[in-house]
Amino acid sequence: MSLLQVQNLSTAYGPIMVNREVSLIVNDQEIVTILGPNGAGKSTLLRSISGLLRPKKGAIRFNDRNVTGAPADRMASMGVVMVPEGRHIFPDLTVQQNLRLGAYCRTDHNAIEQDIALMESYFNVLAAKKHAKGSALSGGQQQMLAIARGLMARPRILLLDEPSLGLSPILVKEVQSVIADLRSKFSAAVLLVEQNAGLALSVAERGYFLQHGRIVGSGTISELKDHALIHEIYLGQHSRPKSVRPSAT
Amino acid sequence: MEIFFQQLVNSLSVASVTILIGMGITLIFGLAGIVNFAHGEFLMVGGMATWFLVSAGINFFIAVLGAMILVGFLGFVAERGLFRFTLERPMNGFIMSIGLSVILQHVVIRLFNEVQKTIPDPIGQVWVVHGVDIIVMRAIVIAITAIVVAITYFCISRSRYGLALTASIADPDTAALMGIPVRRYVTGVFIYGSVLAGLGGALMIALFPITPFTGSVVIIRGFAVSLIGGLGNVGGAVVGGLLLGLVDGLSAGYGFPEWTDAYSLVLMIAILIVRPQGLLGGTLGPKAS
Repeated sequence: MSLLQVQNLSTAYGPIMVNREVSLIVNDQEIVTILGPNGAGKSTLLRSISGLLRPKKGAIRFNDRNVTGAPADRMASMGVVMVPEGRHIFPDLTVQQNLRLGAYCRTDHNAIEQDIALMESYFNVLAAKKHAKGSALSGGQQQMLAIARGLMARPRILLLDEPSLGLSPILVKEVQSVIADLRSKFSAAVLLVEQNAGLALSVAERGYFLQHGRIVGSGTISELKDHALIHEIYLGQHSRPKSVRPSAT
Repeated sequence: MEIFFQQLVNSLSVASVTILIGMGITLIFGLAGIVNFAHGEFLMVGGMATWFLVSAGINFFIAVLGAMILVGFLGFVAERGLFRFTLERPMNGFIMSIGLSVILQHVVIRLFNEVQKTIPDPIGQVWVVHGVDIIVMRAIVIAITAIVVAITYFCISRSRYGLALTASIADPDTAALMGIPVRRYVTGVFIYGSVLAGLGGALMIALFPITPFTGSVVIIRGFAVSLIGGLGNVGGAVVGGLLLGLVDGLSAGYGFPEWTDAYSLVLMIAILIVRPQGLLGGTLGPKAS
């Protein structure tokens, strides 16, 4: 049985329909990616799954419960946690305070302290900067903190929105290895939205193509790599830097 | 010198009421982003409730608790029934709150009348310390305020609720993604600020008479205090309240008593021109949108 089921989900910003009849599933501890060009509605899809946006139509089921329309704080407490695009670290709070907030829903104080130590050992930079303010971190460090903060909730599924955005190629590699490790280290499923198809295709097991707000293709990664759409969506764009080409994997 | 100390204690007790109202405003305005112009009336209602209960023969300190609960409930109703719907449009909430303040004045006039209300000094004792007469009730007002300030400061800066509150203000969406029920925090802050207004009103009537129109005078000072200190900054409200209270009290004693209000407002204007973010700095308040 799948962990997350999205059924015919339609979402709108005011009168503008962004997602139309989107259906997808994520199984327990599976890494799934949503690929698509800019403006396809990928972030909107994640925002509506995470509860920040109320869908207009359709249903979201999590763990076989209907959670359609549940607000973000309830989704998070059930284990659906989103790491938003642009990190959104609390700039005036310290690294540790940011981590602690990630565990807001939990009451197992000892385990929270253990998890903070775990994050600090896994993401070395967080240990070195534990008392630094969020605003003092570099973009890459903030991304690590954002992922670590999301993991502090001990999510069943982590929704990652453009984790490589604005990072240097070396840091993209680091993010890539962190995502690839999430299942074994934190037994979480991942739903990954990424412009960087090379990164997405290298870590995910399955994927969906989103175009103009609709799912236009899906399959395992090897199927997706041969899909005509991947060329249309990514390789047709000359502006993309070399390192993000799918051939990089 | 004795007169100076007497003035100081008097000023501090006046400052206490100002601090309580300023702290409520700074929390609600700075943290929840709501401009509640009826906050002064909340204080007045607290004072009137205390007067009503004490007149009915109830112990003053129990009446204070009653006033806090009543005004807290008033805050809950106002937030859930009114301000919840204007969070996206603070200007609408502001205008609505002016309407609410007039309504509350008239409800109180209807229930009682427009004549000023007093209660007898609940303690009725005077300490003489080195030739200085200290009215015990005034010292108690100062002590209660100090305790409330300490508790509030501790909760905001040290507890996990304070941390979650800070996060909710900085970035409500991201806070919600951490599982923080942001709306409930807004309600909580509003109720807490209202309870402080109820306490302020109850303590105020122990010092001075209160009329149904007291709120409209107090609210200006409350906003002055919270802006001087820095919105959302509890420490700032304390500093602002002390500053205004002392300027008021001492100017009444030594300067021109009829200019009392002008001194504090001139001070506020001067500080806001030189330091727009307030003395201790705070949030930027509700975002203009």
